Amino acid sequence: MTKAILTVDDSPSLRMVLREALTGAGHKVVEAEDGLAALEWLETHQPKLVITDITMPRLDGLALIERLRSREAMRDLPILVLTTESAPASKARARAAGATGWIAKPFDPEKLNSAIRRVIH
Amino acid sequence: MLKTAGNAPMTIRRNVLQGEFEVSRDPDVVLTTVLGSCIACCLHDPVARIGGMNHFLLASPPSSRSGLGDDARRYGLYAMELLVNEMIKLGAVRATMRAHLYGGANMHSGMRAIGTENTRFAEEFLRADGIELVRSDTGGVRARRLDLQPATGRVRCRSVQGDVPQAPVARVPVTTGDVELF
Repeated sequence: MTKAILTVDDSPSLRMVLREALTGAGHKVVEAEDGLAALEWLETHQPKLVITDITMPRLDGLALIERLRSREAMRDLPILVLTTESAPASKARARAAGATGWIAKPFDPEKLNSAIRRVIH
Repeated sequence: MLKTAGNAPMTIRRNVLQGEFEVSRDPDVVLTTVLGSCIACCLHDPVARIGGMNHFLLASPPSSRSGLGDDARRYGLYAMELLVNEMIKLGAVRATMRAHLYGGANMHSGMRAIGTENTRFAEEFLRADGIELVRSDTGGVRARRLDLQPATGRVRCRSVQGDVPQAPVARVPVTTGDVELF
C-alpha cells in the first residue's frame, strides 16, 4: 500500500494549498491540525514523510520532532519543517531536534516537491 | 512606558506599510495605515487582550483574467499566517480571535477589480480558518485611513479624499520556498 505524507499545520487554508501541491505530484496526503493530533495518528500509522509547521497550539512542530525522534520506529522518518519562521535560532533548533530539512513559506510547489524527492528514498 | 509631562500615557503610533504586520498588547500603542486597493486584516483576542494588523496587496499577472493566481494566494496565506502566528506567540488563541477587514477599494475604473479580489481572498481565509469576521468596511472607490488600538481592538476607519499618499512599500521577499536539507 502506498504510504502517505502527513502534513501538520493549524491553518486549514494552508493545509488545503499544501494538499493541492502534494496530490498534484501524485502523493497521498493525511492531515493533522497540530502536533498532538499528529502524534495520535502516528501511533498506528507509518507515513513516508512528515511536513510540519512550527507555531501551533497544544504541541508545536519542534516538540513534535523531538517526540518522534525519541521513538525507535521514527528515527529515520524524513521530517521537513515548513514555516514562516526566519530566525537562524529557530532553524538551529529544528536541526538539533532532528528535522531532515527546512522550507521557508511562502512555499514554491516545485521546490517543495523537489525536496521531497531528495529526502524520500 | 513613555509619559507626557503630565504623566498621561503617550500614544505610540506605528505605521504598518504594505507587506508588513504588527502585533502588540501594549495599551499605549496604536497601529495605523492608509489603504487603497490593499487589505488590512485586524485581529483581536479579547481574552488575551492582544491585537494586530497586516497590510497586503495580492497581484496577479495582468494577463490573468480569472482572479488571483496560485502564487498570489500563497503570498496571501503567508501574510495572514505571519499575523496569526505572531498573535499566538504572544498568547492569543485562534478560537477567540475576532477579525475586521478594511480596504480593498477599486480606485481606478476600467481596471480589474483588484480590491474586490483581495477582499474575497481575506474573507475566504477567515472562513476556512474559523476566525469570526465581525466587521468589514471594504470596496468602494475611496482610500481609507485606519487606526487600531491592538490591546482593546478599537478601530477607527475614515475615508480619505483623493489619491492615497505614496508610502514606501515593504516588499515581500522575492525568493520563496528556499529549501535547506540538513
